[in-house]
Amino acid sequence: MSIEIKSPTFPESVADGTVANWVKKEGESVQQDEVIAEIETDKVVLEVVAPVNGTISKIVKQEGEIVNSSELIAEFNEGKIEDVNEVESNESPAESKIDESKPKKLGPAAKRIIAEEAIDPSTVKSTGKDGRVTKADLVNHLNKKPTEDLNKIKNTLVDTNIAFSESRDEKRVPMSRLRATIANRLLTVKQETAMLTTFNEVDMLPIKELRAKYGAEFEKQHGVKLGFMGFFVIAAIQALKKFPLVNASIDQTDIVYHGYQDIGVAVSTERGLVVPVIRDADMMSLPDIEKSILDYSVKARDGKLSMDEMQGGTFTISNGGVFGSLLSTPILNAPQTAILGMHSIQDRPVAKDNEVVIRPMMYLAMSYDHRLLDGKEAVTFLVSIKEQLESPERLLLNL
Amino acid sequence: MYDVVIIGGGPAGYVSAIRCAQLGLSVACIESMSDQEGNQRFGGTCLNVGCIPSKALLDSSQRFYEANNELSKHGIDTGKVNLDISAMMKRKDKVVDQLVGGIGGLFKANKVTPIQGHGKLLSNKKVEVANGNSTEIIEAKNIILATGSKPIEINSAKFNDTNIVNSTGALEFSAVPEKLGIIGAGVIGLELGSVWARLGSEVTMLEAMPDFLPMLDKKIGKEVFKEFTKQGLKIKLGCKVTKATSSKANVNVEYDEDGTSKDEVFDKLIVCVGRAPNTENLLSDDSGVDIDDKGFIKVDDYCMTSIPGVWAVGDVVRGPMLAHKGSEEGVMVAERIAGKHTAVNYDLVPSVIYTHPEVAWVGKNEEELKAEGVEYKSGSFPFSASGRALATDESVGSVKVLADKVTDTILGIHIFGPSAAELVQQGLIAMEFGSSSEDIGLTMFSHPTVSEALHEAALAANNHAIHIGNRKR
Repeated sequence: MSIEIKSPTFPESVADGTVANWVKKEGESVQQDEVIAEIETDKVVLEVVAPVNGTISKIVKQEGEIVNSSELIAEFNEGKIEDVNEVESNESPAESKIDESKPKKLGPAAKRIIAEEAIDPSTVKSTGKDGRVTKADLVNHLNKKPTEDLNKIKNTLVDTNIAFSESRDEKRVPMSRLRATIANRLLTVKQETAMLTTFNEVDMLPIKELRAKYGAEFEKQHGVKLGFMGFFVIAAIQALKKFPLVNASIDQTDIVYHGYQDIGVAVSTERGLVVPVIRDADMMSLPDIEKSILDYSVKARDGKLSMDEMQGGTFTISNGGVFGSLLSTPILNAPQTAILGMHSIQDRPVAKDNEVVIRPMMYLAMSYDHRLLDGKEAVTFLVSIKEQLESPERLLLNL
Repeated sequence: MYDVVIIGGGPAGYVSAIRCAQLGLSVACIESMSDQEGNQRFGGTCLNVGCIPSKALLDSSQRFYEANNELSKHGIDTGKVNLDISAMMKRKDKVVDQLVGGIGGLFKANKVTPIQGHGKLLSNKKVEVANGNSTEIIEAKNIILATGSKPIEINSAKFNDTNIVNSTGALEFSAVPEKLGIIGAGVIGLELGSVWARLGSEVTMLEAMPDFLPMLDKKIGKEVFKEFTKQGLKIKLGCKVTKATSSKANVNVEYDEDGTSKDEVFDKLIVCVGRAPNTENLLSDDSGVDIDDKGFIKVDDYCMTSIPGVWAVGDVVRGPMLAHKGSEEGVMVAERIAGKHTAVNYDLVPSVIYTHPEVAWVGKNEEELKAEGVEYKSGSFPFSASGRALATDESVGSVKVLADKVTDTILGIHIFGPSAAELVQQGLIAMEFGSSSEDIGLTMFSHPTVSEALHEAALAANNHAIHIGNRKR
């Protein structure tokens, strides 16, 4: 029985997607719920799974093609999964085609190169027996790509007579959809808001001491490590409650105040930056917040974040400190009004009670939309966060 | 009418017949060779007078040589060891008979029809079979010519079946000749020379070519020459035999060495200057099958002759005269007749000289790569650095691996040393899968084995052999 395989139903905010990868090939047997294709959208990679056991009879949308919500992407035949051995022992004169679609076992050198260079072997032209990718294929694949493009570039440069050395390779590849989306959104924010950044610094000693003192017990009790992020989220929520305008957003000529605090936490993944949202964070305890951050970072790493988990948000926290950033000016996550940037903690001499002491210091940066927030509010908001972190008891006392 | 009729039951023909039968084709195999009682003998040169009997004698003679010369080194004192040449020959004949009989059994099991007699191809895919006085015409949809080859005879030294013999006669001496002359220091000459030298002959080899085994990798060839000379083979290069005069007692051989006429007296003279394709009385004038100027049947890459449906395989067509090459061609043709798309990979035909130690190689040698302008890297490992080779007192020779400088794909493997034939086969399997030297380097080898030398040579190609110093680059 033939079944139509359609792309998933996209949320309203997603216009279309691209077929990123056919995990299974045409004619290949698949089991129910096996992933057969991956569709990349602006926000996430969606998996398409086989509805029943059977074979893909025809691929309608090839890799790289744009698909709309619930659009036909392949035709599928329901049926028993063929026993490969049975087919191979059939001595018909026609050569068995079964083997061609199965991934071939690779030699050890090919495996090493694929792992080291992060190559998708299905993109490599193979010359080995039964379509196997050999080391030579991979070496040629790695050597060829830039030179092919290089020749193109060279040809366009003939007129301008620019000397072109082989060692200055250039390579032109299309942006992934996620990257293109990020690029678009960031540029729009820069162009359409009056963005300004205010800085402060925070002495992290009290939080560090707290973590040192209760970290082990916390982990034992809650099954999750006591990190820094949870404190920042709680400090931000309390500050947002004090300064509702920071939690608001502009919709044309209206100001929309949100009666809840949904905190986005920026997570870096291989595919790009994603911002899962801790929903109703104001209702959550610190352990719950830590748990949900951990949960999101695992999902983000595996590309398993759902569309829902990345929608909305009223305020965002971005931590450039994990990469060692000392100071930066984060860009707003539209239509939010402010974003808090955390940075790396550095032991620095600071003046305390007329003495120079060495303290673990972190610069804080908050970018905000000046259209909505005045400097006074923005600065006081950031100072409030600073004060709560320097005296964690304030977190408890809602001060 | 048969689906397939095969003329010749040697390693190309009989293997092809079995494969045809497996594929459901009706097949007959014509063979003219028979024993004294008139029983048909399949197996061709390889089984009857080539590969197998020579290996039987090579092994027997090596045992005799070791008992006489090497066991004492291991602390085993045997006293004087006696040679019973007729028992040695009987063992050889028994091995041959067993294998020949085996083919009869395989034919029966696969329902291949054996036809005794001499086959001749007529036009329109008909074959005339002559057996004694009777002739018979059989028809087939496909005909495979697999008639093999025979030793070349030279005018200056005609075979006489007593003291000037070909390779077949050299396997049947009833006594060890005191002085043995061999014309031709090729693969066959070296193997036969080794047999009789180990049994006590003083062996002199006269080779017309100025180079020793020119198809070998040069460095390996030098090692081989040195070792064989040490083993007592007197190999004289650039010596053209002008006349061999046989008398009852011996053979006087006159030859030209660097413009100087010389002569030498031998008890026996073996002539092994090469082999020629067997097409005598094979093709009728109107068969339509083309033959080239050297007498080989002309075929394409898939062994089809100028007449569709008529095929030719083995020694009777281009390419090296090797049993395994013929067998693979036989299989290929059977499968193509059955509609499959099989092809023989002529780039990877292994060659072996079954001396002691063996010489074996596959793919390109350094000289060929240089001539083709291929940039390559080379890794060598001597058996003198192999623990297993030293332990078994087999430490002569080395392994050489040649690989593409850029892609690292293995281009050639050249081995002189213990079990060289088996070692080359390991590398050949890797090459058939497009392996790089790194692939072999990343593969685990049992310790201690002589195979480790192949592993180390592959590592050496990438400058990280473990058990020998690497070249500075």
